Amino acid sequence: MDAGMENSIRQEQIESFGRLMAGLAHDMKNHLGIIRESNGLMDDILAMGASGEDAKMVERLQKSIAAIERRVVLSAKMMHHLSGLAHRTDSPLSSFLVNELIEEEYTFLERFSRLKQIGITFELRDLLPAVYNDPSLLQHIFYRVYATCLDLLENQQKMTIATVQEGKNVVIVLTLPEGVPATDCEVFQEKKLLAAIDKINGQLKVVEQGHMEVRLTVASLPLGEQTSFNK
Amino acid sequence: MINSKVLVIDDEVEFASTLCQRLKLRGIVAFDVHSGSEGLVSLVKMNPGIVILDLKMPDMSGLDVLTKIKEYDPTIEVIMLTGHGSTGSGLEAKEKGAFDCIMKPVDLAELVAKMKTADEKRSKV
Repeated sequence: MDAGMENSIRQEQIESFGRLMAGLAHDMKNHLGIIRESNGLMDDILAMGASGEDAKMVERLQKSIAAIERRVVLSAKMMHHLSGLAHRTDSPLSSFLVNELIEEEYTFLERFSRLKQIGITFELRDLLPAVYNDPSLLQHIFYRVYATCLDLLENQQKMTIATVQEGKNVVIVLTLPEGVPATDCEVFQEKKLLAAIDKINGQLKVVEQGHMEVRLTVASLPLGEQTSFNK
Repeated sequence: MINSKVLVIDDEVEFASTLCQRLKLRGIVAFDVHSGSEGLVSLVKMNPGIVILDLKMPDMSGLDVLTKIKEYDPTIEVIMLTGHGSTGSGLEAKEKGAFDCIMKPVDLAELVAKMKTADEKRSKV
């Protein structure tokens, strides 16, 4: 099988996976919708008849209802982002805001930093220009860079994720604390990662200024251009 | 106070009927149906002023139902319920005349606030 056919199959595989995830997210939101409304109805009924009931029991029930409501809201937010993530593969090239893409993906990345007890701080600049590129591939690249950075850090260390504008480009900057050895930068030279960055006409630089900065530049592709996955 | 009658169209029966009950507890005249075609029949029978409409239903898409509602009576205000993360369908609904879109699961306070604004808009017509 030639490389073109292999890429084409891989692309279809990603699209199928995206559709499956989107369907799952949609159904989960429906379930959450029913749970939320049923919970809300219990709360309404309780509020109406509270005066004649044991006050402590009512208070306990109201606490449980509030806990269910909080968890439903959190789960719904996750499902909303999962649906967004899944739909990214619908149109391989589109205009998007890099900040939105990062926030969407971080919903799922957060647990990796939490499990490793790494503190993440965001400094996402407002009013950045939209870029025209492959959002799904950029999310894959961001995941790889983020995961690599986490691997370089020890428990309790901190990392900052920022976005800045440089000309018409948007740069995602991951800042690691002082003390991460510069020799470890070689992990960012992995062939497949660099090839993926090349496909979005991006650039990855590791800068040392006392602390290490990993800078991923995201440029807009010319309108009508296709990435090699879609050729 | 919402004076318009409210029709909820959603194929998720439990969701639609529970939402309806909660609206009724707030003094709103509301009724629910569970398909696009039933919804269109109810327009004539019930004469609602506001429709809460699910975007994705098996028999007809919410966008098609929206178009037919607006053909029948352009003063009916339609609030779309969408489960999609992408905003494309929401924008399309607004272009077709939807009053607003709300993400599922619904925040009832937000929905009621939008219904009040829609009701005020209708009272000025």
